[in-house]
Amino acid sequence: MRHLRAALAHIAGVFTSHRADDDLREELQAHLDMATAENIRRGMPPDEARRQAMLASGGLTQAVEAVRDQRGLPWIESVAADIRYALRALRHSPAFAAVVVITLALGIGANTAIFSVVRGVLLKPLPHRDGDRLVYLRHSMDGPGGANILFSVPEVRDFRQGAPSLAGIAEYSPWTLVFQGQDGAVRINAGLVTGNYFEVMGLSPVLGRLTEPGDDGPGVSPVLVLTHEGWMKRFGGDSSIVGKQVTLEKQSVTVIGVLQPAPFFPNRVEALLNMVISEHHLSAFMVEGRTHRMTEMVARLAPGASLEQARSQVAAVSARIQREFTDAYDPGSHHRIAVIPFREVIGERARLTLWLLMGAAAFVLIIAAANVANLTLMRGARREHEIVVRAALGAGVGRLRRLLLVENLVLAITGAILGVVIAGGGVRLLTALVARYSPRADEIRLDGVVFGFTLALSVMVALLLSFLASLPREGSLASSILAGAHRISGNLGKQRLQRALVVVQIAVTVVLLAGAGLLTRTMIRLSDVDTGLRTEEVLTMQVPLLTPTEMLFNPAADAAAKERYDRMRDEMAALPGVVDVGIGSPLPLRSSGVRLEVKAEGKALAVGEAAPRAELRTANPDFFRASGIPLLRGRPFSTTDRQGSGNVVIINQTLADRLFPGEDPVGKRIAWTGDVLRFTPISGDWRTVVGVTGNTRDGGLDAEPRPVVFMPFAQMLAIGGGLVIRADSNVAALVPAATSIVRRIAPTAPLENVMTVAEIKDQSVSPRRVNAALISSFGILAVIIAAVGIAGVLAFSVSARTNEIGIRMSLGADSGRVLRMILGEGGVLLAIGLGLGVGGAFFATRVIHGLLFGVAPHDPVTFIGVAVTMAAVGIVACWIPALRAARIDPAITMRS
Amino acid sequence: MPEKLDVKQGTLALMILKTLEVLGPLHGYGIARRIEETSKHRLRLNYGTLYPALLKLEQEGFVKAAWRQSENNRRAKYYSLTTAGRKQLAREAREWHQTADLIAAFLAPRREAP
Repeated sequence: MRHLRAALAHIAGVFTSHRADDDLREELQAHLDMATAENIRRGMPPDEARRQAMLASGGLTQAVEAVRDQRGLPWIESVAADIRYALRALRHSPAFAAVVVITLALGIGANTAIFSVVRGVLLKPLPHRDGDRLVYLRHSMDGPGGANILFSVPEVRDFRQGAPSLAGIAEYSPWTLVFQGQDGAVRINAGLVTGNYFEVMGLSPVLGRLTEPGDDGPGVSPVLVLTHEGWMKRFGGDSSIVGKQVTLEKQSVTVIGVLQPAPFFPNRVEALLNMVISEHHLSAFMVEGRTHRMTEMVARLAPGASLEQARSQVAAVSARIQREFTDAYDPGSHHRIAVIPFREVIGERARLTLWLLMGAAAFVLIIAAANVANLTLMRGARREHEIVVRAALGAGVGRLRRLLLVENLVLAITGAILGVVIAGGGVRLLTALVARYSPRADEIRLDGVVFGFTLALSVMVALLLSFLASLPREGSLASSILAGAHRISGNLGKQRLQRALVVVQIAVTVVLLAGAGLLTRTMIRLSDVDTGLRTEEVLTMQVPLLTPTEMLFNPAADAAAKERYDRMRDEMAALPGVVDVGIGSPLPLRSSGVRLEVKAEGKALAVGEAAPRAELRTANPDFFRASGIPLLRGRPFSTTDRQGSGNVVIINQTLADRLFPGEDPVGKRIAWTGDVLRFTPISGDWRTVVGVTGNTRDGGLDAEPRPVVFMPFAQMLAIGGGLVIRADSNVAALVPAATSIVRRIAPTAPLENVMTVAEIKDQSVSPRRVNAALISSFGILAVIIAAVGIAGVLAFSVSARTNEIGIRMSLGADSGRVLRMILGEGGVLLAIGLGLGVGGAFFATRVIHGLLFGVAPHDPVTFIGVAVTMAAVGIVACWIPALRAARIDPAITMRS
Repeated sequence: MPEKLDVKQGTLALMILKTLEVLGPLHGYGIARRIEETSKHRLRLNYGTLYPALLKLEQEGFVKAAWRQSENNRRAKYYSLTTAGRKQLAREAREWHQTADLIAAFLAPRREAP
């Protein structure tokens, strides 16, 4: 009570200090008067009486100060005074303040922006209830396309039974569905889920209900849960959506709820449905086929179970079923299952890029802070006089330190505020970039935690800056004053610190530049990659006419679809400028989802050798010419390769080398094989190879070409068909005409990926381009800041040595010699910085190995280029102060 | 002349409270004079010591202050004890006596029997 009362009085005191001061002065005056009167009564003369009273009082001003300290919160009051003082001091050196604030704003802004992304995408807890208990199971095997081959329903059952540390396993089958919207049909990414899915994932609806076990199995009606994203995108967040019917896969489906915002993996999805929408998912193939893998598994760890327990149980189950079902697990392919925390797997594609950016931003901040530190040190040297005078007037070292700290805090926080503004713009750009890598991009926010990070960063910078400045030590004041502190000394120790900072700046800049150089070269290498197509004047468009159910279970629909593709082809071929039109699937430079085991007649696999797998693609006779895919041997398909005629295929070079090394494949026979064929409409009949095509980069420009088998479009089901149009020039101009043909012939079909080959290629390069551009802009920023840094330190050194240089010149040194002297001084710093930087880059660039393509992490061309660039910029930066030194007039210097 | 002492931290509040108990409401000068006289001028009280201490007591609620006319017709600030101040004085005096006894016992020039 007593303390509370006193505390309140203190706080009140802060606000009522003026009135109280008057009161106090009157009280003290009364005291003095009474003491004087008493002295007079004792017989002193009035003057002496007053003097004695004053002496005894111990000083009115001190008393007022002491009472003030008792009255208010002295700490706050003096800090307020410090802030006022700092602002005044900075107003007097606006150039210094502006340079420091802008430098820090850039450094802090970059870090704030990138930290907000790192936090949103990698660090923030998942929105799922107890999201840290969720694990993702990944089934992989050797070979291209084997990184994630999903699970079959029997496999899911095995893990349900054999891994008690997984409390629940949610099945989720990625699927695309044709959605009939107001602006025509579109294919949307969706997930077909079991009824326990939402319970396991720990997700709640924001509207309506979610699917439940009662929605499983056949004989129920198809229902749809919109993801938050789908709700916003397709229905504008319409709150009356629940209960309405929408048309999906040409069926009527009821919307039963809207899900809370949550990230999905591996793809963003707009809708989640029960399995009944896809006849295939309820067929015996799907439910009983051990190799029929179409399901993603996310599981929730049982209470008390650890990740390690789950891993060992999953491994045990996996080993057991591999022994038991040898047909389903080709031993040469090394089937394996990883159990990964869901949060990690969601961030995996973004992780390396983001930490790289975070590292680059941190480097920029280091360089910026070093520059500011140098500026502060130089300013500190000019302020020595002021500091000594303040110390002499009674400011303790602690108080002086606090004064500096407050000044640096004012600078750093102003910089941080400006930085947050910069970050606000940067975050929007970064979000667009990160959306390619991470489903959590829309969770990126400049929120309290990010601001906390920014504040902590600026306070740290301010603290560092304050403790760099050397203050007169307690007790050494007298000597400082005697030494005549008006001399701008820039003593040796301080200059050594400045030089060290410059070396650090140069070294860090070199590391950044090396990273930027490698990424830029990666991008150039990538755009130089041969796609395998002979021309870029090719327009592609995907027009899926059939739903999977129709394709698999309705031969009449398949025939009708093929007839419509032919009509589209005929009409497009008649457009002016069109050279060839091909039909096929998937389109060139896009990967195929259908990957099957393949065997060659008369060739047995060696023991333990992985079965070769190839992508299944379809093509009509004109497809290769229209796409510009070169035919290396044999013939293209012809119109006589029809349903009912002999089975023929064309294979690509990679598969030819794999199956028929050193032989001519034309005339040989191959067949699809493997357990999984049972669940497909594809037969394992022998097929004669009639031709060999060149390789194309279908998995992205940075991926090695994969083995491919082309089947005649006419001999295969119309999986997702598309058209390839080649023109003699400016193929992009054909887009409107080609689009209207598709719209007329197939008004309700989705029309996707209307892109030229040049655009597809660019899509593959552009993420790297953004990476390279971001790191390069950090690099350029670093170069500029470092150049200013080295020039500044040398200029300071020159101004501190003006006298010395004047003496040298009057003793006969010519200006050339002075120039060389200063250049040499800078050159040493530059050389040390370069050496350290190249060494550092050698280690640092190994980290980004995974982001490079076509260049080694220590690519000598890049390293030499970076060193030469930095040296050139550094020499120019040294030249300016050196020239100034050379122009010193000894006569003027000596006189002053 | 006897050696002059600075007031020990913590003891001044007690002296002020006791002075006000004995003499009733009094101004700062009066308090200072009384304390100096009681200490036979061995204690020295300047404004910088006295007035912060008075303010502290006032903030804690042990004394209250009011402006009044002094005996020689001058406006002066008079301090007087509050009820809480009386209790505090009793408490502090008791503690002080105990401490003094304790210290005295410690400092007594007496050798323990081995």
